[in-house]
Amino acid sequence: MSTLRLALRMLLRDWRAGELRLLALALVLSVTAITGVAWLADRVAGATESRASELLGGDRALVSDRPIDEVHALRALEQGLSVSRTLEFASVILVGDRTQLAALKAVGEGYPLRGQLQVGDDPDAKPETATTIPPRGEVWVEPRLLMQLGIAVGDTVELGARQFIVGRVLLLEPDRGRGFQSLAPRVMFNLDDVAATGLVQDASRVTHRLLVAGESPDVEAWQSTVQADRAESVRLESPGEGQPAVQRAMDTAKRFLGLSALLTVVVGGVAMLLTIRRYAARHLDRVAIMRCLGATQAGIAFLFTTKMILLGLATALIGTVLGYLVHLVMLALLADFLPSLPSPGWRPAVTGIGVAQVILLGFALPTVLRLRKVPPLRVLRRDLGGGVLKGVGVYLVALAAIFLLMWWQAGDLRLAVYVFVAVTGTLSLLGLGAALVVGILRRGWRAGGGSGVLVSAIGRRPWTTGVQIVALGLGLMALLLLSLVRDDLLQTWQDGVPDDAANYFLINIQPDEVDDVADMLAEAGVDTEVRPMVRGRLVAIDGNAVDAGAYEDPRARRAVSREFNLSWLERLPADNSVVEGRFWKGGDTVDPQLSIEREFAERIGVALGDTLRFRFGGDYYEAPVTSLREVKWDSFNVNFFVLASPGFLEDAPATYLTSFYLPEDSQVLLPRLVRAFPSVTLIDITSILEAVRSIMDQGVRVVELMALLTLVSGLVVLLAALQVTREERRFESALLRALGGSRGLIRRLALTEFLLLGGAAGVLAGAGAAVAGYWMARSLFDLDYGINPLLPVAGLLAGVLVVTVAGAAATRGLYRVSPMRLLKSSEEG
Amino acid sequence: MQIGSVLRTERLGMRFQGPGGEIRLFQDLDLHIDNGETVAILGASGCGKSTLLGLLAGLDTPTEGRVLVGDTDITALDEDARARLRSRHVGFVFQAFHLLSGLTALENILLPLELAGHRDAQRLARDALERVGLANRDRHYPRQLSGGEQQRVAIARAFVTAPRLLLADEPTGNLDRDTGHRISDLLFTLNREQQTTLVLVTHDPELAGRCDRVLHLDGGRLVAA
Ligand SMILES: Nc1ncnc2c1ncn2[C@@H]1O[C@H](COP(=O)(O)OP(=O)(O)OP(=O)(O)O)[C@@H](O)[C@H]1O
Ligand SMILES: [Mg+2]
Repeated sequence: MSTLRLALRMLLRDWRAGELRLLALALVLSVTAITGVAWLADRVAGATESRASELLGGDRALVSDRPIDEVHALRALEQGLSVSRTLEFASVILVGDRTQLAALKAVGEGYPLRGQLQVGDDPDAKPETATTIPPRGEVWVEPRLLMQLGIAVGDTVELGARQFIVGRVLLLEPDRGRGFQSLAPRVMFNLDDVAATGLVQDASRVTHRLLVAGESPDVEAWQSTVQADRAESVRLESPGEGQPAVQRAMDTAKRFLGLSALLTVVVGGVAMLLTIRRYAARHLDRVAIMRCLGATQAGIAFLFTTKMILLGLATALIGTVLGYLVHLVMLALLADFLPSLPSPGWRPAVTGIGVAQVILLGFALPTVLRLRKVPPLRVLRRDLGGGVLKGVGVYLVALAAIFLLMWWQAGDLRLAVYVFVAVTGTLSLLGLGAALVVGILRRGWRAGGGSGVLVSAIGRRPWTTGVQIVALGLGLMALLLLSLVRDDLLQTWQDGVPDDAANYFLINIQPDEVDDVADMLAEAGVDTEVRPMVRGRLVAIDGNAVDAGAYEDPRARRAVSREFNLSWLERLPADNSVVEGRFWKGGDTVDPQLSIEREFAERIGVALGDTLRFRFGGDYYEAPVTSLREVKWDSFNVNFFVLASPGFLEDAPATYLTSFYLPEDSQVLLPRLVRAFPSVTLIDITSILEAVRSIMDQGVRVVELMALLTLVSGLVVLLAALQVTREERRFESALLRALGGSRGLIRRLALTEFLLLGGAAGVLAGAGAAVAGYWMARSLFDLDYGINPLLPVAGLLAGVLVVTVAGAAATRGLYRVSPMRLLKSSEEG
Repeated sequence: MQIGSVLRTERLGMRFQGPGGEIRLFQDLDLHIDNGETVAILGASGCGKSTLLGLLAGLDTPTEGRVLVGDTDITALDEDARARLRSRHVGFVFQAFHLLSGLTALENILLPLELAGHRDAQRLARDALERVGLANRDRHYPRQLSGGEQQRVAIARAFVTAPRLLLADEPTGNLDRDTGHRISDLLFTLNREQQTTLVLVTHDPELAGRCDRVLHLDGGRLVAA
């Protein structure tokens, strides 16, 4: 393999000559950014998932009304997963002659597999983490149960045929509140005590759960075996499912991460293109000489390809190691937010090596390969072959590489196409803007014939100036997007979960209690509406019987195979908006009709105008769909997938419910409510809200760090752009001085250049970021966000500041080079 | 400075610290060049001709001795003062032309005029371009010009400020014989017309032969041929 050795030798020579350092730096930084992001995303996604896992109590859960086949647990154990079981049912708890309906949960060893139980000795105790499950003979209870029954820790309660001691107060149960179906206060006890209570008979309504947790590949492997042969009645739950708000929070966080990573890729690519062109241009003569000495085109191509692959491997190695370190630093910053991280996988490392090669193949190799076309005659006529580096092919390949990387990063073709179109559109617009700026300046100056013009860089190097404006513009745009726009977006997003999001639900309100409950809430100053709710089954769509088995989507299958909740009301709630059709007006007098949440309608295959048939108990109701709605689930208000017009469902058996926000200091209302309406169930959703908030906060932190990486990439582009023109600047500085320009003049010229460059790039970037932010908010994140007119101004300031400071720093000393060099090298000119 | 020497060196010497110790290029060079004179400097490659020329132009400072342009001791001036002096009194032609690729032929010629703050820059530059026979190429960029044409633009750039002293380092070194011939014709013509003093470094005995005086740089000494 003499070519390999030759390539290696040439590579080392290039390196020593300093020719490859910049290219290698750009590559290393790209790989560092990408692998750092990959590693972070990998582990944070794992952690975010495990945060959501806490809401599930494990990484996956099998749920069933009947005992779950042992085989699933055994398989999980074989896979090295941890396993735990729970059994939930409702029953009455007795203390003396007082009774209280309680949500019982018997838990097995190891519970919870994800998250922690927080307990204390009285309701106001400082929460401590439980290290075990309740021992046999003990119950752990929610504070409100103590209040409801007037008991304390140490007292005795009866559950069925067995007496229990109240051992601890249950202050936080991570997997509480799933689907809001646990209505009554929680009473938790040991699974081994279930039999002794005699409460669970064969026909009892109970929910069995098998919780499973472990390394995600193992969990996934287990999941696929389960999916293959689980009984129809057994349901598989994964983190985030069944909770629209949590799901949405996770999706949005993931999108933010993916997007940041994509921007890093693109910005890194610009730096690559800038440097590789320079590298190739500097190799024109060398290749001409090699050709002259008898190297074939194929030989040159092979040599350079080998060189690039070797370079790719070396830089990938360094970049991957650096990326790993970078992600460690970022994790250290995140330490408070990520209590338990999955251990680092090896995949990001392989990714790093693959990505380095893709980047090189996409961004560097096409340019370098063109060198093989350099005519040998160039050794005699230096003007020959200078054009081989020109052409759009190189950029097309680079675009293809960008797209591939985006696709890989987004893991979603649609998102990749979206972002790709956005990014290429942005690049074209930036290019257009840059051409316009350069053109206007040149033309204006030439027409004016004024002095000092020719010495301006924009006059002297229109092409590099244009490229620099585009590259800097892109970097600055990423910077602005990820700082200002991101803040705006996150603010808009977090505003979706207002501080006064409902924190309590009251359900099971009987029709004859509605007015009294509403009065009591109103008296206490709580602003809310009490809504009716009927439970019904969808039996036909447009006369076609609904068949759950016909749905591909498991969520759709689940939705139609169960009863779901409908409500009716007169006016559209504030957090709903109609996206298709019209919402009814006119109180009780309107014809029967339905309004459906859009995504839900899509999922179950219902379109505007379809007629739906429901069964409530033994009665059937039929009405057309006259509007599709969008719902802001983040508000935690009571909302329904299906709404009916008033009057239509009035005969169906209804209960009522409401949600409201109660500040911490007015919670005395709660015991009054519970006492006045014993059968009404009060649900505290503060804990769910807190889980959602903490996931959001984590997301913000992580996105900020990702933004930092992209920002660094942007700075690398700036430095690359400056480096690319370094030789040119050096030569020009020498020439201008030989022709009689003072150093002060040269420095002033450079400063003017940086001001113009930074200003132009900044304004373009600001305008671009404003438009991109607007577009992203609307089409990616579903947020209501306007164009921020201050962005171009911010861009101008940021551009001028960053480019001037970095430019002055990077070119320091450059202008002091002796003009004597003009007498030596014959390279420039 | 109308009479006497336009350019003078006193005990000029230059040393470099090389990797293998000190390199002494030349020392004790005493040179007098009169107004309007044409001087060729010949010498083996690497003997220090370009270095000497650079010192004469004030592009660098000698390690020993002085260089006087007219009555001004340029070795006593700082960088910027030397640059100012160059912009008014010294023109330079390089072997590698050294035109700025982003500027047209005309703009390259405008450059020194703007640096010196000339009022009538446009007209002067056009005149200069016409005199080197490239009036119709004013809007061409260097890459659109042949080597000989580029050197003609470079010569126009050197002459356009009407310097008293023109220094040329192998002006025909990168050109074929015929073109080289035409370039040197141009140099001598302009030199005569503008009463300029010309010092050129060359390897071409024929070009050297057209000068009033030929000096050999040999073993660190200048000897008349
Ligand atoms: N800054 C420097 N540091 C060290 N050595 C230098 C420096 N500048 C020039 N030299 C050395 O001085 C010697 C003379 O260089 P110079 O360019 O003046 O030669 P020259 O006579 O013009 O040669 P040629 O005819 O090949 O152009 C060379 O050996 C060169 O390596
Ligand atoms: Mg020389």
